[in-house]
Amino acid sequence: MAASGSGGSRADNGYGSQQPRRRKGPGALATAYLVIYNVVMTAGWLVIAVGLVRAYLAKGSYHSLYYSIEKPLKFFQTGALLEILHCAFGIVPSSVVLTAFQVMSRVFLTWAVTHSVKEVQSEDSVLLFVVAWTVTEIIRYSFYTFSLLNHLPYLIKWARYTLFIVLYPMGVSGELLTIYAALPFVRQSGLYSISLPNEYNFSFDYYTFLILVMISYIPIFPQLYFHMLHQRRKVLSHTEEHKKSE
Amino acid sequence: FVSYQVEILDWKTKKQLCFLDKVEPNATIREIRLMLHKLYPQWYPSRQSIKLDPKGKPLRDEEVLQQLPVGTTATLYFKDLGPQIGWTTVFLIEYTGPLFIYFLFYFRMPFVYGLDERFSSSPHPVVNLACICHSFHYIKRLIETIFVHRFSHGTMPLRNIVKNCLYYWGFAAWVAYYINHPLYTPPSYGKKQINFAVIMFLLCEAGNFSIHVALSDLQRNGSKTRKIPYPTKNPFTWLFFFVSCPNYTYEVGTWISFTIMTQCVPVGLFTLLCFIQMTIWAKDKHCTYLREFKDYPSLRMSIIPFLL
Repeated sequence: MAASGSGGSRADNGYGSQQPRRRKGPGALATAYLVIYNVVMTAGWLVIAVGLVRAYLAKGSYHSLYYSIEKPLKFFQTGALLEILHCAFGIVPSSVVLTAFQVMSRVFLTWAVTHSVKEVQSEDSVLLFVVAWTVTEIIRYSFYTFSLLNHLPYLIKWARYTLFIVLYPMGVSGELLTIYAALPFVRQSGLYSISLPNEYNFSFDYYTFLILVMISYIPIFPQLYFHMLHQRRKVLSHTEEHKKSE
Repeated sequence: FVSYQVEILDWKTKKQLCFLDKVEPNATIREIRLMLHKLYPQWYPSRQSIKLDPKGKPLRDEEVLQQLPVGTTATLYFKDLGPQIGWTTVFLIEYTGPLFIYFLFYFRMPFVYGLDERFSSSPHPVVNLACICHSFHYIKRLIETIFVHRFSHGTMPLRNIVKNCLYYWGFAAWVAYYINHPLYTPPSYGKKQINFAVIMFLLCEAGNFSIHVALSDLQRNGSKTRKIPYPTKNPFTWLFFFVSCPNYTYEVGTWISFTIMTQCVPVGLFTLLCFIQMTIWAKDKHCTYLREFKDYPSLRMSIIPFLL
């Protein structure tokens, strides 16, 4: 999900008088790299999608499909960490903090919950968020690819700014249910927890931490959701006007 | 003698907020702010951002109307900065909090570690020492706020105080919880580690105070022009040879020493965050100095000698 841009260069000479703001986009090399990156990611998530379908057809049921796409899911979701660097180096005009937050939350769910608590891997909630992520990412990465090549089909733009209406709540539900399912196992095994006394004078209760993570969805999810709705109105109505004026 | 006319527009809507007739050419922005305040009493001067360009930098109080690039009919833009609070007030609230919060944990109030441990005291001398050092640090900060610091900006937005207090008060509570905990483990290298930490702590506090006094002396006559700070006879200020912001260097040193003294991970995390925040501030200050002064000493780094 694109966040607000922060890439413009300053043209301030004291009294802020009019000098046109030159927006530094990525150079030719960076653009080529980004196109390759986005194509690879699109392909990767397509692989996951195909893997899910094939596993479903082979097994005859939609339970426990996680195992068949575990490796590509981990690889491509973790690969998204590169996007933080893209923002940090300025080749993508998004906020580093926002991107880091979004990617880290995905990586957290992939590794610190689903991978670490083996008992939840057979839960249906995992399928719920994996499907949501897969469809979202295929559309998102192809959107970026086409945008970089200056040839964005309206269908992709529409899909990106419309399907989230269903996919986003679907993904969030899957994520929350998975964390909730993991709780008893974390409590039992004391996973990632440290208690007093110890020579570092530190304690950490992963169980409580997971509960706090779940609670944090309450303020964060509506904000992101309504932001996307607002973006949708802006982006899609703008295109409508363009079409009408032709 | 030509009198000016000044119209003030809202920076976003461009709606005309007021039209001032017969304004003196040597009127300052401060006077214009007062005139706007008379018409809109809810917008006291420190809340007003007055600019020449809707997206430009705000004009300073001292700027004179006829020296600005405007005709005899000037168009200025107004932006409401929101409710403001004085810097001194902010610092007093920010620093008093940690002082008292730490005591809640040190004296083991019943609601902190449970009724069994209420009002008990720790068998470890380092816990008492840590309380003295922590309190000393914040009392020193309060004294500096009242008697030493001279602030270039009078105010900051009110919402900042919520953010800042959550940070300072929250960390004070978190850190105090572990140091004063009944299951606290004293440092691995015992007296050696603690004594070293205490000496480092005192040196850094003295250094930090020296720098604050030196910076305050620079602005003694209330002049608003910036000057390059230089080392004085006080050896603690000799750090100015190597860094632009030795006050931040010493501050980080204080917290490192406190981490060593208590051997407590949360203190270490707080130190890390302090270091990151102060490095950002130091680099910013350093860049400002480099921009404003052509003859700025080239040996100086921003916060760590020779490195950062």
